[in-house]
Amino acid sequence: MMPELSFNIDHGYLEGLVRGFKCGILKQTDYLNLVQCETLEDLKLHLQSTDYGSFLANEPSPLSVSVIDDKMREKLVVEFQHLRNHCLEPLATFLDYITYSYMIDNIILLITGTLHQRPINELISKCHPLGSFEQMEAIHIASTPAELYNAVLVDTPLAPYFIDCISEQDLDEMNIEIIRNTLYKAYLEDFFNFCKNLGGATAEVMCEALAFEADRRAFIITINSFGTELSKEDREKLYPCCGNLYPDGLSKLAQAEDYDQVRQVAEYYASYKELFEGAGTNPGDKTLEDKFFEHEVKLMKHSFMHQFQFGVFYSYVKLKEQECRNIIWIGECVAQRHRAKIDSYIPIF
Amino acid sequence: MGSLLRSEEMTLCQLFLQSEAAYTCVSELGELGLVQFRDLNPDFNAFQRKFVNEIRRCEEMERKLRFLEKEIKKDGIPMLDTGDNPDAPAPREMIDLEATFEKLENEMKEVNANSEALKKNYLELTELKHILRKTQTFFEEAEFHNRQAMHDPYLGEETVGLLGEEAQQRGRGLRLGFVAGVILREKLPAFERMLWRACRGNVFLRQAEIDKPMEDPVSGDQVLKSVFIIFFQGDQLKSRVRKICEGFRATLYPCPETPSERREMSLGVMTRIEDLNTVLGQTGDHRHRVLVAAAKNIKVWFIKVRKIKAIYHTLNMFNLDVTQKCLIAECWCPCADLDRIQQALQRGTERSGSSVPSILNRMSTKQEPPTYNRNNKLTKGFQNLVDAYGVASYREINPAPFTIITFPFLFAVMFGDMGHGLIMFLFALWMVVREKQLQAKKIDNEIWTTFFGGRYIILLMGAFSMYTGFIYNDIFSKSLNLFGCQWHASNNEYTQAVLDHGKLFQLNPNGSYYGSPYPLGLDPIWSVAVNKIAFTNSLKMKTSIILGVSQMFFGVSLSLLNHRYFKNPLNIFCEFIPQVIFLFCMFGYLCILVFHKWVNYTSAEAGTAPSLLIGAINMFLFHYPVPKDGQVGVSDGQKGFQGFLVVVAVLCVPWMLFAKPFLLRYQQRYGQKRRKFDVLLGDINGESEVAFASPHTRYTETDIQFKHQHLSVNSGDLINHSDPEAEVTHHNDVGGSHHVEEEEEKVFDFPEVMINQSIHTIEYCLGCISHTASYLRLWALSLAHAQLSEVLWTMVMRIGLGFSGFVAPFAIVIIFAGWACMTVVILVLMEGLSAFLHALRLHWVEFQSKFYKGEGYMFQPFSFEDILDHGGEEK
Repeated sequence: MMPELSFNIDHGYLEGLVRGFKCGILKQTDYLNLVQCETLEDLKLHLQSTDYGSFLANEPSPLSVSVIDDKMREKLVVEFQHLRNHCLEPLATFLDYITYSYMIDNIILLITGTLHQRPINELISKCHPLGSFEQMEAIHIASTPAELYNAVLVDTPLAPYFIDCISEQDLDEMNIEIIRNTLYKAYLEDFFNFCKNLGGATAEVMCEALAFEADRRAFIITINSFGTELSKEDREKLYPCCGNLYPDGLSKLAQAEDYDQVRQVAEYYASYKELFEGAGTNPGDKTLEDKFFEHEVKLMKHSFMHQFQFGVFYSYVKLKEQECRNIIWIGECVAQRHRAKIDSYIPIF
Repeated sequence: MGSLLRSEEMTLCQLFLQSEAAYTCVSELGELGLVQFRDLNPDFNAFQRKFVNEIRRCEEMERKLRFLEKEIKKDGIPMLDTGDNPDAPAPREMIDLEATFEKLENEMKEVNANSEALKKNYLELTELKHILRKTQTFFEEAEFHNRQAMHDPYLGEETVGLLGEEAQQRGRGLRLGFVAGVILREKLPAFERMLWRACRGNVFLRQAEIDKPMEDPVSGDQVLKSVFIIFFQGDQLKSRVRKICEGFRATLYPCPETPSERREMSLGVMTRIEDLNTVLGQTGDHRHRVLVAAAKNIKVWFIKVRKIKAIYHTLNMFNLDVTQKCLIAECWCPCADLDRIQQALQRGTERSGSSVPSILNRMSTKQEPPTYNRNNKLTKGFQNLVDAYGVASYREINPAPFTIITFPFLFAVMFGDMGHGLIMFLFALWMVVREKQLQAKKIDNEIWTTFFGGRYIILLMGAFSMYTGFIYNDIFSKSLNLFGCQWHASNNEYTQAVLDHGKLFQLNPNGSYYGSPYPLGLDPIWSVAVNKIAFTNSLKMKTSIILGVSQMFFGVSLSLLNHRYFKNPLNIFCEFIPQVIFLFCMFGYLCILVFHKWVNYTSAEAGTAPSLLIGAINMFLFHYPVPKDGQVGVSDGQKGFQGFLVVVAVLCVPWMLFAKPFLLRYQQRYGQKRRKFDVLLGDINGESEVAFASPHTRYTETDIQFKHQHLSVNSGDLINHSDPEAEVTHHNDVGGSHHVEEEEEKVFDFPEVMINQSIHTIEYCLGCISHTASYLRLWALSLAHAQLSEVLWTMVMRIGLGFSGFVAPFAIVIIFAGWACMTVVILVLMEGLSAFLHALRLHWVEFQSKFYKGEGYMFQPFSFEDILDHGGEEK
């Protein structure tokens, strides 16, 4: 009864902390200053006056974008680990769920890498540290999905998601992509149910966020599948069934054959209609992906309006990730002296 | 002394610095620490400013120094802190410094890379050594089991050691391959599980722990590792095992199969380790030499680099002149120190070798100057107490000098106990006496710095507590009989028979009191009386009212000084006078009654004394009941006087409320007419009406400085100095920046003034009543303190005194320890803290609300000392 009453006993400190962290997210004025930078050194100088503080102070001089990326990521990871180390159930499981998506990405990255005969050390350094797990580095011994499951993944929390993929024959590009999406589908549905069972404001906020995530994946899968050998039935199997599109929208999407048909499906949903209408491929237009990101940022900001719920943790990680993408985008534009598109970052606050 | 009563007179100055002399001048000013620069380019980003490259170079140097410092700390070499304070080096020396650091860093990096490679090599060799040693035992065991199995026919196949059996049987038939390696110990369980799963149980793993932790060459941490050896069959399994090993970052080493080869190899390894050890020693020595040399200078280098950086930060706030020849700065500085600043500028110019002098030039402005109080180490603590509430408005009366006495005194009234006061005093005295040593230690503990920062406050609080404790005659809840008690029980009245009869006796003051009071403080007889609390309560309550009312009177009269200083006669007549009258009519009179009651009633008439509380209530109700028998009623004259006081007090309220706003409105209407007239005459004379009208000594045009300035600036905008408008805004023209000055003349808004005044009046009138009541906390806390210490004595110490026999000495030692600890923790620390907070509140709310605005902002001079104290996180 009334979980809000006792929420602060267990999670109040961390919620306060994460709300404090949120205040450090760069504002529009910061971005305006950042896009004026001439060199990466300028970028560093400005970032030093923000919440990032002296995170680049100990880096020797010719600065590269990847160093900035690493350091920003490191900062996020340190903050996340701090939260994770101080939390209690059910927040602990919730935070673990957040890391699962990074684990999926890492697994796929490693499998693809080994498929292309890259050395494992090089791949490991590219993995997101939030999604690292012990058996990760031994992933390249597996040559079939079944082996992957039996040898590597069976001990990880991803094991239950993987069961659907064991039947695949071998690991090629196509199958890897299918594995990724199947894993994601299972993961999203599981996370969705978990949040739903938590109930209260958490369910309210998180179900909305995860439903959007699921729908976004469904759209992207459909659009990306045009022109590949993926059959419509297979495609339908990859759609996560926890979004707003489920079930009618998904079955229509499964039948779609080109972009316009996808767009027609989106017409039925007010929020997605807007996104599709705003997107375009002409120069100056925003891409559909950016539109989705913008919508995500909106949702995430919205979740900070609710009290006594875990959505803020998820939102913080997502917003921080968006911020990293923004800074990297600006950094790349500055580094490559390609300033024409420097403004197409996605402002957060 | 006057300097502490009001903040320093400040002036806004404009500095014209020749570009080549700017650096040295700012450096001199930084050493001086008396100038607060204003940022003239607030709209520029950090990286758009002029000296951003220099700052970047400084940051780079700092990074190198931090790197060196880290290395020095890693080796545990003490860093020499001579405490000397080198001047900021000249800009050209920066290149030398950079080169030095660059060289050192590269050298260090090279040494590190070398030693890392060597260490890695060393680690590999030691691991190999361990592998050879451990595998030797594996193989020997296998050999042993083998023989045992052969010698013991009863042993079934299952019971024979797995390795022995397999190694023998398969070793002959099929080739049984093996790999040996080393892995981090914490990874071992997962590694084993993975091996089992991936190879479907077709491998055999033996492992042994390496006892000594090894050094990780990259991070330098000590890590625990284990040796393992894996047996398998076939090439496929081999590649798979190798992959898993790679995945778990296990290092594999070649391990020969026959014992003799192994022995040979281990001999080779041993000699190589020996060689490496000597080389490692040499590298270590070299590194140590480099670091020791660096450690001697690193503090000085840090100071130098930070100074350079601070100077360039400051230069970034300056404007460039149109001709690019000179930099223009604006700063606040104390008027009294203008000469020193001039001298510093002169020194700076000389040092730079520039021929054109730097120019300091006073400007007049309507902006509120910062508040700057010159404090010494004693007054600083008290100033902090005041500033924590709000920084004084410019040139307003600073309560700090009064707080120095009243704060410890009010604290002591609540904390009156000679013993506890002595403990506090001695602790503070220790801090004060060992000030220098303690300061040098630079302890970072927050609690300690709080106590240490307030050491003089604590010292005075302790001293005053001893004084009030003496007055209360309290030392650890006991009393001292220093001057002889003034009460006695006469033998005729209290005979043995009477004493046997009862337990409690009432001493009648008419018979038992000698007639002259105990010379100083409370008569010790009261400590044995059961009605002690009733007596002290009455005494302490009255004292706290008297103290409170006098402090409030004092506060109100300080407001008179403020009004006079700011030339505000209206406030004197419309606020100060009614306030004083109001306060006197209500509570001044009460205090007079208190004294009257103390002085006029002897012990014989004690029964007929009037009740003050009832009397005060009746006074306001105009209700005087017929006195009961034996009581003296209120005389008619007193009735009339009291009535008069109440009426006057009530009349003061509308006086405070309406007089000022209406007078202002009248002045405003009249003033406007006059001003129109003035404008016609061409004489702008508006400053007497502006709210901020402190006596600003304006420099006349005949001042030499201005002549200089016309010469050096050759821009016309400074010439028309007589025009106040241009004066205020001219620096904007110079810099081309856009920040707008706040409009200087407030529009008169009658409703707003009225509302403000009514808030003020209500606050004051209600405040007088509630604040007087609030001063009763002096009594309440003092009562609580006295009671607590008495309870502690009776509940703890008295038990210790009750023992008899040979247990008694031990018991008393233990119980005394407990009592002492509780005294310090509860009575001195906890009670002290609470009394401190209450004293603070009495000052902030009850005292300062009478006169203190606290709307100023702090003067934060550009000073190297501050910047260096705060280390890296400056700005």
